[in-house]
Amino acid sequence: MARGFSRGRRGIRAKLDPHEKSLLAHLFVEVFELLDAHDGPGEQDPLAVMVGIGTAVDTPADPALARLLPDGHRDDPQASADFRRYTELGLRQRKRAGLEAARVTLGREGALVLDDEEARAWAVALTDVRLVLAERMGLRTEQDHDRLLEQAEGDDEGVSVMLSLYDFLTWLQETLVAALVAPLRDLPEG
Amino acid sequence: MEAVVTSPVELDEPRSDLDQALTPPWVTLVWNDPVNLMSYVSYVFRSYFGYPEIKADKLMLDVHEKGRAAVSNGSREEMERDVEALQGYGLWATMRKDD
Repeated sequence: MARGFSRGRRGIRAKLDPHEKSLLAHLFVEVFELLDAHDGPGEQDPLAVMVGIGTAVDTPADPALARLLPDGHRDDPQASADFRRYTELGLRQRKRAGLEAARVTLGREGALVLDDEEARAWAVALTDVRLVLAERMGLRTEQDHDRLLEQAEGDDEGVSVMLSLYDFLTWLQETLVAALVAPLRDLPEG
Repeated sequence: MEAVVTSPVELDEPRSDLDQALTPPWVTLVWNDPVNLMSYVSYVFRSYFGYPEIKADKLMLDVHEKGRAAVSNGSREEMERDVEALQGYGLWATMRKDD
């Protein structure tokens, strides 16, 4: 039985069984690969890539990817396209780096103990995985969770598996955020 | 109207306060979604913007209850930076000219 994250003297630790660890590693890799797909039509200019300018100007066709890499402007496609050209490549790279950093910690022997930087990477990685899972399940409004729960309690085994996985990740992220925020409580407010 | 002759050097001078005041401000908006945890959204506002807990919680509740909140304002370039950073955290962030 998993025990969520909590802050101790040596870092932020959680107890996950081997099955949970491999499941998480698998999910981090899946989203990594989703973000790894070619970022747009045409040839990449290596110099442009070096300074973070990509060729992607369109909202990704996959709605899960579109949620990870949303438009920068709601009602201005041209401005969104320009923004995407300058930011999407970097966003993809940073998200992949975070997912990979989180995955690497799962390969360590013994208890899962994270420093603050790793914990931050985990918090974002869990967010990205949950965003993708939610989109795949059709969880797009506050009401959808109840609807999916009814489906799961009915006879929909696919929904049941995805939803319990999603809820497990939600619980794990709640404990992680609480552990991350704990030392902030001591800072003076100003 | 007579043309005012200025030295070209002035074009490179930093923009005056007046220029800043005349430039329409931009805002960064964060939109509600059913996935992001309330605690996480508040944590992001605190760690990225450095907002105090009370302000971060207020903005988070606005996002949750009103569907969106303007979380920062400034020049277009500044808002582009904020939107990119918040999207990096997985928040649904966009920008627009303030009205």
